[in-house]
Amino acid sequence: MLQYALKRCLLIPPTFFLVSIVIFVVLNIAPGRPGEQAQLNGEKAGAQQRESYRIFKEQFNLDKPVLFNARFALHINEVRALLMTAYGLRQAPTLAAKLRAQNELEDLGSYLVRHLIALLAQGQEPLMAHAITTQLVQAARRPLLPDSGPNDQLARTTNRRISAQNSDFMNWTLPDNASDEDVAATTEKWLGWWKRNHSDFEYPGSAKPRIFFTDTRFYKYWWNLLHLDFGQSTADRRPVLPTIISKLRYSLSLTLISVLLAYLIAIPLGIWSAVRQNTTGDTIVTIALFILYSLPTFFVGTVFLRLLTEGDPVAWFPAGDFESFGADGMTTLRRIADVTWHLVLPITAYTLGSLAALSRYARTGLVDVIRADYIRTARAKGLHEFVVIVKHAARNGMIPILTLLGSLLPVLVSGSVVVEVIFNIPGMGLYLYDAINLRDYNAVMGVLMIASVLTLLGILISDLSYAFADPRITFD
Amino acid sequence: MVSSTANPAVGPTANLLDEAPSYWVIVWGQFKKRRLAYASLWLGVALFALAVVAPLLASNKPFLWRVDQGPWQTPWLGSLFDRNFFESGLDLFFNALLVPGVLILPAARMYWFYTRTRRRRQRSRARRNFLLYAAALWTVSFAAIAASTSSKPKVLHPALATQLQREGHQVTAVYPPFRYSFRDVDLDQIRAPVTPAHWLGTDDAGRDVMVRLIYGTRISLTVGIFAVLIYIVIGTVIGAFAGYFGGRIDAAFMRLIEVVISIPSLFLILTVAAFIEQRSIFHIMLIIAAVSWTTPARLVRAEFLRLRNLDFVAAARAVGYSEVQIMFKQMLPNALGPVLVTATFGVASSILVESTMSFLGLGDITVPSWGQVLNTGRTTGIWTMILAPGFAIFVTVSLLNLIGDGLRDALDPKMRT
Repeated sequence: MLQYALKRCLLIPPTFFLVSIVIFVVLNIAPGRPGEQAQLNGEKAGAQQRESYRIFKEQFNLDKPVLFNARFALHINEVRALLMTAYGLRQAPTLAAKLRAQNELEDLGSYLVRHLIALLAQGQEPLMAHAITTQLVQAARRPLLPDSGPNDQLARTTNRRISAQNSDFMNWTLPDNASDEDVAATTEKWLGWWKRNHSDFEYPGSAKPRIFFTDTRFYKYWWNLLHLDFGQSTADRRPVLPTIISKLRYSLSLTLISVLLAYLIAIPLGIWSAVRQNTTGDTIVTIALFILYSLPTFFVGTVFLRLLTEGDPVAWFPAGDFESFGADGMTTLRRIADVTWHLVLPITAYTLGSLAALSRYARTGLVDVIRADYIRTARAKGLHEFVVIVKHAARNGMIPILTLLGSLLPVLVSGSVVVEVIFNIPGMGLYLYDAINLRDYNAVMGVLMIASVLTLLGILISDLSYAFADPRITFD
Repeated sequence: MVSSTANPAVGPTANLLDEAPSYWVIVWGQFKKRRLAYASLWLGVALFALAVVAPLLASNKPFLWRVDQGPWQTPWLGSLFDRNFFESGLDLFFNALLVPGVLILPAARMYWFYTRTRRRRQRSRARRNFLLYAAALWTVSFAAIAASTSSKPKVLHPALATQLQREGHQVTAVYPPFRYSFRDVDLDQIRAPVTPAHWLGTDDAGRDVMVRLIYGTRISLTVGIFAVLIYIVIGTVIGAFAGYFGGRIDAAFMRLIEVVISIPSLFLILTVAAFIEQRSIFHIMLIIAAVSWTTPARLVRAEFLRLRNLDFVAAARAVGYSEVQIMFKQMLPNALGPVLVTATFGVASSILVESTMSFLGLGDITVPSWGQVLNTGRTTGIWTMILAPGFAIFVTVSLLNLIGDGLRDALDPKMRT
């Protein structure tokens, strides 16, 4: 048993890693990046907006490839073609193609430098050379290293060198109407700079594997994740993790109370129904549960909201939210009452579906067991009927619905989004719903990851409780 | 089982094979005995028929149309395959079912007659002829329809009629019972109450709710059925490979399944849906299928793990069947029962997922989905738009669950009566 538990726990990290890959790939192959639409619409807004979008991409690592980085293998002809399109040097490209090429060049960043210099060294027409130097200013600029304190001499000296270079680059920026001589002079400056700094931009064979795996969005994300940093929300620029944790309070109370209630009602109801199999009472309960089972949560929630909160016909409950405004100032007891008052409807709407499923399983489980020989033996021994049912039959008959917890949890974790949206409860589901509408990648990633962790833990608990409840089960 | 159904007059040894009912005949017999499930099946068929005949019930194109003493026109017939009128490929598909659907009825009757009266061999011939007839009919009509889809200019016939009458023309028009389209906005009729003209009122764009619900049947059933078809195929193939080969292949697939079920599915579905621009209901089917295939996969795997040690598999291998033949021709039919049950429940839950998505505004916004109507009901607070779509979803899901329950019992040898 202990060995099984240990094995089961050890399996969680690799599964989580695979889950993160799946989520990451799904999110990143989705077309459309945050902010891209605004940038495409505002093309005429000019260089400043483009620059802020570029910084935005850099900040959120959106300029990096998703899983693997093979940009060191970029061919010079591709670079030439991209430049031609981006700067409109070939036959006039469409606006969309031009923007796409510009974006791509920006994303390639420092991997371009080598090829741009090579192109310059080949000798170019003034227009092309102008384009190349403009691109170089942006490509060769490097971000500062993180400064880990006043004693980090290496970082300081390197950073001093980098910022000096970066300001040099800014000075080398050519105006749009630069003369051919200016272009030639700047070209010389760049070639001279390259002689001194080329080692920073060349990728020897030994560096390639490192770049291939580590200079990617996924690696950066995971690296931050190991420091429990889920990144910043692109919507409100606040770190995602604290936000999610603060939201978790609402979602978990909703989900856990609902699961608890469902089990507390479903098991006695199932037992009662199974004991009175084929009586009128059983039939009524079965039909009622069947109806509940087929009623969608969002329908029940909407009806509750319309029927009981809007004052037409009645307004017995608040129309959403987790607690009243100003609940912080209340006494503990009043606050609990307030929250309960707010949660009655959402929890009822949320519980009904799982309650019905659980009761049906509980009934079937017990009906199977009640016919067993050992139940007859127990009765023959003269045990009280209550003891026979609860102690002998129920313990075995309820094992199937324990395992159901494992498959119920993922449904409940994600099902909260519907209830939270309808009742406007500021939990994880509503946060996700808002985040996907705003294309807030880090927030969406964060919610999906945390929800997956919760699900993994839920499945783990249900597996362990299953193994615990039924000692006959061995796991080899 | 055999002796109870064989004809005693023929003698115990005669034609045992000919008269022994096959597995699926037994299951069908058992299913029929479950009255509620059997009735639900026919109600489900009726629901599907409603989806097919929707244009016959509701359309703003008149069947017949004549201005003054001009020629008779048939705008309704022309609109069936008009890409400008029925924009979604889904509607064109259902309209395509409508035409041969009418022609196929007499053939189905004929087929039923044959199966009642003739012996096994004649029955199989009748079945083959019927299938050939059906296939030919459908191929021809689909080809004809594909060739005849058109894009006609948009004409609002009811509005045109009023205008012509005002100008002193005489307009003769025969409309379907509900003369509204599910899509055309009528700004004079926004949030109309329940009237004889609008049985369930209109929504906040002046569209008739009743008509939207009728056409919503098409959306729900299509998403349900096709999503399940897709993921049953994926799941069955993966489960079959995992269960048949076992070992490392099994372990790898199980790992994959574990990963997929660890991601809360509705979160993933909503996220992916939101990131697709201009999602159509085909995207929605694919998304649902992509996260739901694990259930049939686990089921088929378990069945295959059990079946692969049985003698008939060894026999098939000894005869020299290839692995694929053994898996899909010999073993799969034995594992099909539970898959069918999951599929039935799967249709119900896919319909729920689709309506949840469109309720949250993350479905296909161009089609009249039930969830979308319910969402309008939520924002406007109009009771008919809350209760009617809710009831539609409830009935559909209930029917499917009842069918599934009945099927599961019918397949269970312990429950045979």
